[in-house]
Amino acid sequence: MQNDLELSVSRRAFVAGSVAVTASPLLGAMPALAQAKTSVAVRIERDITVLDPAFRGGPHDANVIRCVYQRLIKQKDGSVETELDAAADLKQVSPTLIEFTLKPGQMFTDGFGEMTAEDVKFSFERFAVAPVDGKISPYKGDWTGLAGVEVTGTYTGKINLSQPNAGLLAIAIADASGCIVSKKAVMARGVEHNTKPVGSGPYQVVSVEKQRGAVLKRNPTYSGAKPTFEEIKVNFIQDPKTAELALRSGELDFAVLPPAIAEPMRSAQGIVVDQSPGLAYVWLGINMEKAPFTDLRVRQAVRLALDVDQMLLAGFNGKAPRLNTLVMQPILGAWTEAPVYKRNVAEAKKLLAEAGQSAIKTRITILNQPAYQTMALVAQALLKEVGITAELDVQEGGTYWDAGKGEAGKNLDLFMMRFNGKLDPNFLMQWFVSSQIGTWNWQRFNSPEFDRLYQEAIVESDPAKRAATVIKAQQEMDKSAAFVWLTNDVAFAVRRASVKPAYLPGALDWQLDRFTSA
Amino acid sequence: MSDTARYLVSRLVTTLLIVLGAMLLLFTLSAIVPGDPATALLGPQATPEYARRFIVEMGLDQPWYRRLPTFLGHVLTGNLGIDVLSGRPVAGIVGAVIPYTFILTFASIGLAVVIGVPLGCYAATHRGSALDHALAFISVAFIAIPSFVIAIFLLLIFSIWLDWLPVLGAGQPGDWLDQAKRLILPMTALSVGWIGFIARLMRSSMLEVMGENYIRTARAYGLPNRMVTYKYALKNACIPTIAVLGMGIGRLLGGAVLVEIVFARPGLGRLIFDAIATRNFPVLQGAVLVVVVIFVVTNLLVDLSYSAIDPRIRRDAAPQAAGQ
Repeated sequence: MQNDLELSVSRRAFVAGSVAVTASPLLGAMPALAQAKTSVAVRIERDITVLDPAFRGGPHDANVIRCVYQRLIKQKDGSVETELDAAADLKQVSPTLIEFTLKPGQMFTDGFGEMTAEDVKFSFERFAVAPVDGKISPYKGDWTGLAGVEVTGTYTGKINLSQPNAGLLAIAIADASGCIVSKKAVMARGVEHNTKPVGSGPYQVVSVEKQRGAVLKRNPTYSGAKPTFEEIKVNFIQDPKTAELALRSGELDFAVLPPAIAEPMRSAQGIVVDQSPGLAYVWLGINMEKAPFTDLRVRQAVRLALDVDQMLLAGFNGKAPRLNTLVMQPILGAWTEAPVYKRNVAEAKKLLAEAGQSAIKTRITILNQPAYQTMALVAQALLKEVGITAELDVQEGGTYWDAGKGEAGKNLDLFMMRFNGKLDPNFLMQWFVSSQIGTWNWQRFNSPEFDRLYQEAIVESDPAKRAATVIKAQQEMDKSAAFVWLTNDVAFAVRRASVKPAYLPGALDWQLDRFTSA
Repeated sequence: MSDTARYLVSRLVTTLLIVLGAMLLLFTLSAIVPGDPATALLGPQATPEYARRFIVEMGLDQPWYRRLPTFLGHVLTGNLGIDVLSGRPVAGIVGAVIPYTFILTFASIGLAVVIGVPLGCYAATHRGSALDHALAFISVAFIAIPSFVIAIFLLLIFSIWLDWLPVLGAGQPGDWLDQAKRLILPMTALSVGWIGFIARLMRSSMLEVMGENYIRTARAYGLPNRMVTYKYALKNACIPTIAVLGMGIGRLLGGAVLVEIVFARPGLGRLIFDAIATRNFPVLQGAVLVVVVIFVVTNLLVDLSYSAIDPRIRRDAAPQAAGQ
């Protein structure tokens, strides 16, 4: 038979080729080179998605964004206090009016010209009042109350608010939502601007590659203080164990790691582990609309049945500080006198008896992460002692984050939740207003008084009065007994001893341009 | 049309049907899987109107049986869709990681062949020896240990303890030496299981072939043992191994995810894993389609390569195809 399928590559050639392909990498085997300290490598745990401030994917994008763009004001080194950045002057003229003057000569990269008040107007209004191409920013809420930005000169303008917003400076203007983009660049580049951003900040983006991260180079035209490092490699490393090994080998200089990975690294040579309280908040929530938890006494019984310290010992090796209320230090309105609930089995049983409940069967919905699983197991055992049988419903992220939303949320019983915080009380409180029921208020906590206090806190510009309002709001939450506060988490920032990082309290928001050699 | 051409056409039609079947399965599973993509991708900050727009842009407001033909129609024009989150074409995203996947997959399989085949041959020709027993133990151990466990050990030994090789990533684009250095450990981690598997397969295949009449005849003619083993027996004993390699390449294309995660390497497996975790359906659909196509094409090529090695397969396959 005629051979129609004759292959041009012989077996011998194939084998020889395989050997060549396999052996070629071995030729390159040699010790890894030590990293020069003109460059610093940091780890992000999620892949870079969008480097346009209005459509950023989360804190991992924001950490890059904040050093690529300038803001009118920015936080000082590791502090909640702010200082001028792109603005030569910024004045809160009234609760609804902020005036600014830009420094002249601040140039956008890639030849997009000088920053003007037009760029500021475009940057801020596209979030909330003038979306470009109808695209509404997911961070619209950061600019609550923005009526518009009035351009009064090349470098001057007025930020007009329809209502006072006490958190505007911290949440929007000084943070990623306050980054000033080049109007020309956004219009010219379209979606390309997501990965080829044009800013005027200390660094510019050289490359963004899927699953690898980003490389940043010092911006030669930046008019502010020159950053220490010429280059920043922002590496996307999913696995914390890999990040640990990369830190040990010297390929990585900085990462925020879970306690179980970070703790043992304290003894590693050339590694420094900085531990600080986190800015996230973790709690066990109770759905107030689901029987038998509609009864306040049952919710109180759950709160008294649990031993928060024991749960934290199991989940975080006892390294995470206990949280007793929503707003923690150093945020305005921290309720330092919040009650610290101790486990009281007898009282819990008594409350359940009064509510006519003797054998509750329930479910604790949690994310499939070790800390939550361990804490939930402890909670399960503790609840059992008061006659509440809880099964654990462990879900992966895609399913879990949908568990309390819409109609499905009505069927939720108990759950454990973690939200990232920011340095403003209204940011923390926003998820618990009644309008968030069916979205992120999984407790279905419906308190008109809390809603009123939340609104009052937004518009209150006197810090002392605002703090008092925020504390009252937390007291409303406490009365509901729908929240068993667990911890504000703990941040383990692990670094090579040769690098001194800079970040805001909680170690979520980094100041990459202020990293220095130690 | 010749018998062989007919065989080829029938295989191509089968290949196309497999691709369609896989995509049908993916779309139906995507519709069943719980979890809101907007929530998973955007997080709590997203406003309801942004989330709604996002769903529409992803086409998820349409039922899966409408999305599937639309997707396939776009695929025919070379458009795998748009990643709604970043606004980048999925084809570009997949295209950017494919080279890393190919390099890792083929290098791993290559290493497995280079080590596994000689080991298997040696074990077969020295059946019952101490070395045969030792190789059997090592092979099974290699198969049993998951690749990510080996990956961690390799990192600890060669990157941390000896400080010979780097830990992270796939190397700088354009720097071949750097890329080669960063390939060694993941390639080794991934190939270890396959080395054991190929060695066992090769051993049993060789033993079977060595018992064939033509081998006995060759020996009876007084041909040197070396020639009988490596020229006549090895040739036929390789066929099952080649079949397994086809499957192996296919499996590694999408299945190297754990090794890719441990070494923080870009790759198709990791892309698919992330896309599932975040319910990023446009990226998931595009990446899975590419993996399925590569898988079936690789297996088609492997099937065709049998006939180049063993003419009997050529003779058998053609009438069978004609009979269909």
